[in-house]
Amino acid sequence: MENLAALSEVDLIGRKILIVDDDRINLRILSGILHGERYEITLAESGEAALEAYAKAMPDLVLLDVVLPGIDGFETCRTLKHLYGVDGAPVIFITAKSESDDVVQGLAAGGVDYLPKPFKPKEVLARIRSHLQSRTLIERQKLLVEQLSKANAAKNKFLGMAAHDLRNPLASIRGLAEFLCDGTVGPMTPEQLDLVRTIHDASQSMLDLVNELLDVATIEAGELKLQLEPQDLSVVLGKSIFLSNIEAAKKSTRIVQTEAPAVAMTMIDQAKIRQVADNLISNAVKFSPPSSTITVTVHAAPGVRGFSVQDQGPGIPEAERDRLFKDFGRLSAKPTAGEKSTGLGLAICQKIVVAHGGMISAKNLPEGGCEFRVTLPCPP
Amino acid sequence: MKFKGSILLVDDEPHIRKFVGLILRQFSVASLTEASNGEEALELYSKQKADLVLLDVNMPKMGGIETLHRLRALDPDVVVIMLTSSATRQIIEEAAELGAVNYIRKDTPKDQIAIALRETIEAQFDQSMFEMDSL
Repeated sequence: MENLAALSEVDLIGRKILIVDDDRINLRILSGILHGERYEITLAESGEAALEAYAKAMPDLVLLDVVLPGIDGFETCRTLKHLYGVDGAPVIFITAKSESDDVVQGLAAGGVDYLPKPFKPKEVLARIRSHLQSRTLIERQKLLVEQLSKANAAKNKFLGMAAHDLRNPLASIRGLAEFLCDGTVGPMTPEQLDLVRTIHDASQSMLDLVNELLDVATIEAGELKLQLEPQDLSVVLGKSIFLSNIEAAKKSTRIVQTEAPAVAMTMIDQAKIRQVADNLISNAVKFSPPSSTITVTVHAAPGVRGFSVQDQGPGIPEAERDRLFKDFGRLSAKPTAGEKSTGLGLAICQKIVVAHGGMISAKNLPEGGCEFRVTLPCPP
Repeated sequence: MKFKGSILLVDDEPHIRKFVGLILRQFSVASLTEASNGEEALELYSKQKADLVLLDVNMPKMGGIETLHRLRALDPDVVVIMLTSSATRQIIEEAAELGAVNYIRKDTPKDQIAIALRETIEAQFDQSMFEMDSL
């Protein structure tokens, strides 16, 4: 990729400058100063002529005298800004040194700078160069952003297709391994069983990864569509806790719900918020030592609903805090019983919560562990 | 559960047919026929009706939705469960409007797929068509 910072003077060759002044001597002096810079110069002697010349030449920079016959410099500048908007060339006003009112008015009319008369060649050159450089940089940046967003869209599309095509074969591998594991199709030796379990677990974690990649691709392609319905957060969380407890029991961890507000109704996409809750709870189990207690609390206050999940893990190191919700932002903490982590879960959670107009945050608790809190708006 | 009816399983991917076929084994299905695409499914169905059709959504050439549409035209009473991998809500709703009675995600663990199948059979068929397991 091109280095944006490395913009040498070579890049300014052929840049177009429109000089507008009714005084031919000034035109000649400025042309003389710029001679040798290899800019393309267009001259105009009135505001009207400037507008015409601008349309024809589409310059990168305009040097504009204030006092002109017909429409004056300020009016010419305003017209240019009106016609060409933010993408128009920057306008530098030519003013007499003493007229500081002109400077203020010129800037108010949309000018970016001014050149005082009499001209000092070095100053003129430096200012022109500086404005041309910023314009060139902005143009390049726009182009880059455009290219990047196209590339990103292509990446998401590819990711989506690849993940999608991987999912069915993985589901079959995992499913067929399940059959071998549970003896439906006949007994296996302990060693064979161990190998098949490994196949099962490996395909399971690949399937999880593929599903999360698909989620990311869907969300980033702007295809996350929420089906909002009035739901009781306590009920949604209750279901999540019930199922997560089965998995948590394998490491003797318990998930408990502190007394919830009787009902915490709000408009949510139940499946998506379930996904967030499942993810936060399974993370809490994953990163807490065996025999921990995970505490889930549902909150309800006027205008807001939410829930928090507290774990007994190592907490979040300060230095890793800003990576927490990033794609593949896996941190240094490791699951305590060899569980798998894709590094996409929290990124997906954040995207879902933000799509609901809510917020997700994390903080370390004074007694150890950390707390993830989801806050959702609750329209009255 | 023992299902006394016949099942037509339609999926273009042989490994999925194998996987779902194994799940169906525990239902001791009276007759299981497989098709690897929509055209084949329609041809088979027009020759010999099946009590239950398991129909993949994403298939090359004639997809599951189109196949469902034509199956319903052939036999308005056909009982169809869609097999999906990443079906969007839109496809699920479309299938439901066309009369599919349920959908099953293929990446679900096998026991959950079996439960979904059992529940659908219980809800859709007369009791004479199945036998519950003795506990």
